[in-house]
Amino acid sequence: MSWITLDKINKLKEKFDYVEVVENDKGFHSVEVPKENFKSFLRFLKEDPDYQFKMFIDWTIIDHGAKADPRFQGVLILFSPEYRERIIVKTWATDETLPTLTDMWAGAKWAEREAWDMFGIKFEGHENLVRMFMWETYPHHPLRKDFPIKGYEEVELPSLNEKERADQLEGLQNYSRMHTALPTLEDLEITQKKRMPNKKSQVVLNWGPLHPGTHGTIWFLFDMEGEYVQECDIIIGQLHRGVEKLAENLNVQQIIPYTDRMDYIASINENHSVCVAAEKLLGIHEKIPEKAKYIRTMMAELSRINSHLLWLGTYALDLGALTMFLYTFREREKIMDIFEGITGARFTINYFRVGGVYADLPYGALDAIEHFLKDFPTRLKDYETLLTRNRIWLRRNIDVGIITEQDVYSYGLTGAVARASGVPYDLRMIDKYDAYGEVDFDVPVGEKGDSYDRYLVRIEEIKQSVRIVQQCIEKLRKMSKNDPFFYEPEDKKMKITIDGRGTKLFKGEVYAGADNPRGELGVYIYMPKDGIKPYRFRLRSGAFYNLQIFPKLMIGRPIADAITILSTIDPVVGETDR
Amino acid sequence: MGIKKVGLNRNVQPQTITEKIFFLDFMKGLKTTIKHLFRKVITVDFPFELVEPAPRFRGIHGLRNVDGTEKDDFEAWVKKLKIKPPEMGETRCIGCKFCQAACPVPEIFIIKTEKLDVPEDHPHHGLKVLSQFDMDLSKCMFCGLCTLACPTICIIHTDIYDLSSYTRRGWVLNKETLSKIADDFIARRGKEKYDDKSEWPDWQKIWDDADMARAKAWDNNPPKLGPNYADQQ
Ligand code: SF4
Ligand code: SF4
Repeated sequence: MSWITLDKINKLKEKFDYVEVVENDKGFHSVEVPKENFKSFLRFLKEDPDYQFKMFIDWTIIDHGAKADPRFQGVLILFSPEYRERIIVKTWATDETLPTLTDMWAGAKWAEREAWDMFGIKFEGHENLVRMFMWETYPHHPLRKDFPIKGYEEVELPSLNEKERADQLEGLQNYSRMHTALPTLEDLEITQKKRMPNKKSQVVLNWGPLHPGTHGTIWFLFDMEGEYVQECDIIIGQLHRGVEKLAENLNVQQIIPYTDRMDYIASINENHSVCVAAEKLLGIHEKIPEKAKYIRTMMAELSRINSHLLWLGTYALDLGALTMFLYTFREREKIMDIFEGITGARFTINYFRVGGVYADLPYGALDAIEHFLKDFPTRLKDYETLLTRNRIWLRRNIDVGIITEQDVYSYGLTGAVARASGVPYDLRMIDKYDAYGEVDFDVPVGEKGDSYDRYLVRIEEIKQSVRIVQQCIEKLRKMSKNDPFFYEPEDKKMKITIDGRGTKLFKGEVYAGADNPRGELGVYIYMPKDGIKPYRFRLRSGAFYNLQIFPKLMIGRPIADAITILSTIDPVVGETDR
Repeated sequence: MGIKKVGLNRNVQPQTITEKIFFLDFMKGLKTTIKHLFRKVITVDFPFELVEPAPRFRGIHGLRNVDGTEKDDFEAWVKKLKIKPPEMGETRCIGCKFCQAACPVPEIFIIKTEKLDVPEDHPHHGLKVLSQFDMDLSKCMFCGLCTLACPTICIIHTDIYDLSSYTRRGWVLNKETLSKIADDFIARRGKEKYDDKSEWPDWQKIWDDADMARAKAWDNNPPKLGPNYADQQ
């Protein structure tokens, strides 16, 4: 497991007497540090040759309830690329403030804005601490425990209640006329101004929130000097639905359908992250039946192909190659057919469960997948002849949006974006969850970290996924139809059901996740005691942190590069906003 | 397992001079495009041509009626919940509300049972019947958890996906409508989805392989379906 060993943690304690070690029976040990020593301790962790925790993963808050004092706790997750280990460092946010980490990791910038937005924690020294998802004049901090799950219903919104001939719905299923707060145009203007406090030119170019090129509802602000971008900022949150808040009121199997709606292009992979994390918290990840492991690996890789095909199609479409879009959608259609047959849904799949999958493969499933794989490589070759060495493609991609290795660590970039910059960071290799330890595949890494490398890395990933799926099919063919696909706990205290009723989580904390097409979707679950509902359910979104580097890449580039850079970063708004 | 290096000059060669002068990259691309001119149409002419959803498809819900294919423990459940033993054609629902408990959005359901108003010597005295079962499908996310929770396989997903309505009222279905939807679905496709104990059999197919509309999307060359596992028929 890619976690810091108890040995190394104890050495930290010897060195700094203020460090408190929190041991965890599943191996996810963490350390607690007082706020005053927090920064100096982190500097040591980052720079000491024995630790080298230089990669930023996540930085978030736990609310311990209105009665607790101090109430809020900061949780920082770091990764050491040298030793392939993770660590959790915690600190108490006394007076509801914390020191900013933006001077050590650029990725903390958005993380801190999100923490301010959702919990109301002030970060001392942050350059522009504005809200992340909500508009600037919004009065509440929704992830605090005292914020009701329904929100405060403050405004009247009659249009939602229109009914034919004033026909009333009886009982509870009528809609309330009151709605939670909504931003007005003035609110949006204030938000926009605050995001770009030192704009230089007269006109700020707005791109989005509803523009086909933004692949969702992202709102870009460009401060232009002629064709060139001087400053850039992003307003997201139009699709924010508060999945983390919702998750705190559900059992873990019920959370899975909500994650379908995050990265809706690769919903299987989102499900996968939650399953892996919850299983690790329960300590059963190793005991999941073999069949379920292989089915999950196979489906996750098919979903990766599916997602990359959509990315390739829309990316080429944005750069002017319309036919690519039609070709990739043809292949996607077949994968969607396979998903529909196996799982029951084409898009919002909800097939994986904590403990396995909800049903065995239907008759003919493996044949259908094999049939798809048979002519897929030739199709992929077609795509490559159209694009890879096409001069327009080369011109528009090479040397556009170069991300260095340093950026990857500092911004916490993951997925194909990190790998294209030469960082072989892949959870499938590092964590070896499910059957990834038993199948053979290569992790593609790029050289320069420009858009062209990101393109090549994703194309290679598709090829590797095909390899993984083939190996899984081979393995599954040898199994019996009576093999279990769902884990039956031996432990009396544990209860896991396919439909989710009564599924319990154990006391403890865990950070785990899966490598998704859009980066690492990590799930951090914190449970102060055994229970059904997770106390804190943090979703560390890969797309969110990857998008954060966009302004940096855009500065000094012509506006036309915005399309290329955004497409190769490939965020999905459902996941950035959650 | 290893690391594969990709990049220009690594696995992709830059354009050569000949390629640049004679526009060979465009020629190759055009060849691919022209090849596609002679392919058959792969799109379906909706709504004149419809792809039949897979048996497992999670469409709008239905409430199954008693038809002789109940699970073995059906009677025990009926007894346990003090429900009037349903006759042929009456709903299988025993008002246990397991579906509501499993649902991430429990407000979808309104389930009520009521005591039968019969004299004391009547055999059904003290027993209950389902009086209300409303589902507001506008809030549903078709996740399928309710159908997995139902002990009597009463609530099921059908293959109907068009639930558009001009008003929100149209998405609230009551127990009569739901029963009708289920009856209709079972008559059409029950044999494909369930065995004679209402379980999903292992011969349940990924999709109907005789469906010509679906075959179109597979380049008119649909896969031949066969068993998955070594010991499957
Ligand atoms: S499909 Fe899911 S959301 Fe819809 S009623 Fe069933 S459990 Fe609830
Ligand atoms: S779980 Fe099934 S039997 Fe129980 S109330 Fe729901 S539909 Fe009726």
